[in-house]
Amino acid sequence: MSMQAREEILGRLKSVRKNTPAARPAKPVLSEINLDKGQLLQRFTSELNAQTGTVYQAKDKEDALRILSEIASAETLKFVLTTSDDIYGIDIRAFGSQNNISVSTVQDFSDRDAFRELAFTVDAGITSADFAVAETGTIGVIFHKDQPRLVSIAPPVHIAILPVDKLYPIYENIVEQVFRNTDKIPSQFSFITGPSATGDIQGVHFKGMHGPAKIFVIFIMNK
Amino acid sequence: MHSRVDQFMEMARKEMKNELSQTFLKLVTFWAPILRQTALSSFPDPVAAESYSRAIRAEVIERLPELLEEFEKNAISRGVKVIWARDAAEANNIILDIAKRKGVKYITKGKSMITEEIGLNDHLIKNGIHVYETDLGEVITQLLSLPPFHLVGPAINVPPEKISEIFLENGILKEPTTDPVTLGKAARMFLRKKFKALDMGIVGVNMAIADTGSFINVENEGNIRMNKSSPKTLIAIMSLEKVVPNSADAIHMIRMLIRNCNGRKITSYVSFDTGPKKADELDGPEEIYMVILDNGRSEIYKDFKARSILKCIRCGACLNTCPVYMKIGGYPYGFVYTGPMGQAINPLLLGIENTTDLYRACTLCGSCKQICPAGVDPPTLFLEYRSRAIRMKNAKDNWTLLSRLANTVVTVFSFGMSQGWAWSLGVKCVRPVLNFLSKDGYIKDIPMGIQGWFSCRDLRAVPEKTFHERWKDLQNKPVPLADIAKKEVI
Repeated sequence: MSMQAREEILGRLKSVRKNTPAARPAKPVLSEINLDKGQLLQRFTSELNAQTGTVYQAKDKEDALRILSEIASAETLKFVLTTSDDIYGIDIRAFGSQNNISVSTVQDFSDRDAFRELAFTVDAGITSADFAVAETGTIGVIFHKDQPRLVSIAPPVHIAILPVDKLYPIYENIVEQVFRNTDKIPSQFSFITGPSATGDIQGVHFKGMHGPAKIFVIFIMNK
Repeated sequence: MHSRVDQFMEMARKEMKNELSQTFLKLVTFWAPILRQTALSSFPDPVAAESYSRAIRAEVIERLPELLEEFEKNAISRGVKVIWARDAAEANNIILDIAKRKGVKYITKGKSMITEEIGLNDHLIKNGIHVYETDLGEVITQLLSLPPFHLVGPAINVPPEKISEIFLENGILKEPTTDPVTLGKAARMFLRKKFKALDMGIVGVNMAIADTGSFINVENEGNIRMNKSSPKTLIAIMSLEKVVPNSADAIHMIRMLIRNCNGRKITSYVSFDTGPKKADELDGPEEIYMVILDNGRSEIYKDFKARSILKCIRCGACLNTCPVYMKIGGYPYGFVYTGPMGQAINPLLLGIENTTDLYRACTLCGSCKQICPAGVDPPTLFLEYRSRAIRMKNAKDNWTLLSRLANTVVTVFSFGMSQGWAWSLGVKCVRPVLNFLSKDGYIKDIPMGIQGWFSCRDLRAVPEKTFHERWKDLQNKPVPLADIAKKEVI
């Protein structure tokens, strides 16, 4: 029945006289492509701050650990879920034991339901990010075995860590990389800009509708 | 969705007296265009950005069947199960069948206009499968059985007292409150339990990418990401015009969609799904069903004078700029699509003969056309629908003396106005007739003429020569430069 529907619908669409599409005008150029490294970081930070997100520049791995501890104490984190115990060289388990925080990693799970249960229970999700975009203070996350989707959407706090060389001017720089190799397109890819938000009741805006209410992005400046 | 378009006039009158609706309409239609402008000004050349998105949508319409086949092929190769549905009933049954086969206890849904168009919730609930809307605005409109007030904030006008009451009734809230944030957080807690044990989610589609077989969702709340992450089965449903050629086009369209929709440059989440989860992934759907819905659109596609409406990307910018929407809000339109967008699409979905008030409730000011990022021209569509309605009426042999007379006058007029020589002849001939009626240089009445015009103003007697004639005289007898200052020459 559904094949028949397909044939009927496509048949009708194809029965129509086809015109050659008009030539497109030149693709508009964005000014962000001219920003230098410092400006990119500045732009990213001001854009994400406008969405109440916080941006840190960690000098190195040790500095990143210090920043993580700072966030953990400000947000009184007790229980976190991380995509790996080693995010770009940062030892998340060490961070846990230093701060008396219980750490679960994605690799601890083979059962989908148990993982899901936990993702909805923890105080924060710590993930790597694959890209950052200065254009709008956005991070780009490719989902795969070691980057399950729920870690960055279910917990009330999301902490994302990435090296600063993954910061690009515009979305095209990233989408081109994600979709270039057709054999390696991820099952899901997301642009994340600030916390989850709504203004659906009386136009009153607040963060943390379904996803995280707070987001922290830590750039590692020197690997 | 059951159409209430027939109550347009009644609802419009009611809404114009509704103080709460008026307050929100003033607020939304004042701020939204300003925010939109600000967001668009982030482009070095906003006009070029608009031309480019219009060109993409125009190309999509020309290449629609080919792009759909390309999308289908690529989606299938990624493991998506693509199902075509001719109409609402077929789509509803397809989704119900999947839900039954999977034995799901309930379903959650992301905000999707297409599922409201086909009345999916009612169909599933009637057949014993409960559906929870998860977008906060949609949660409220579902519980209160309200049509959408605005595309972005479907329940933005609903007073918190009413929300508190309905939340208490449904076990979402324990203590009454009028604080919007407390109400929102209560919905969060309630729906988290649903997401946590979810077997099946349903989402709409903002865009589908032909050359990768991906589909894109744009959202702020995170409910769609929940729907695409937590359950083992995901159903995505899209109307067949949502496809774009490639990811670069999709990115440009997303920039334009969001700027025009809510005046921001980006939403909290923009997610691209290309096939179900890989075997080793811990979450995400094991199965994705992509329902491609026609529901009248392939017929619209054949209709060259109307098919440009298929370019619409449902951003809702036209609502905020429409002088009619500004006064009456979303309820009178009586269907899921409101504002100029609804006035243009609803007559094609529901029938031109059933939606007269929609395409007549327009001043033809052209504001919606001017700002449309997809290049839709609603006023021209309204004129087309109006003329079709008249032709349909006349075709039924409902001729009266008056309608025949009106038809003859309009036919003569349209002939006269489309032929230069006929127009010139007409204006020449009408002069002595008009001047015959003048007294002391003024025409004070025309027998059987336009009623009301002369009640408060007179018309000057017409000069003997037309402007063109005087212009020609002037060309034959050029005025010396020195004399140009003497106005009486001209």
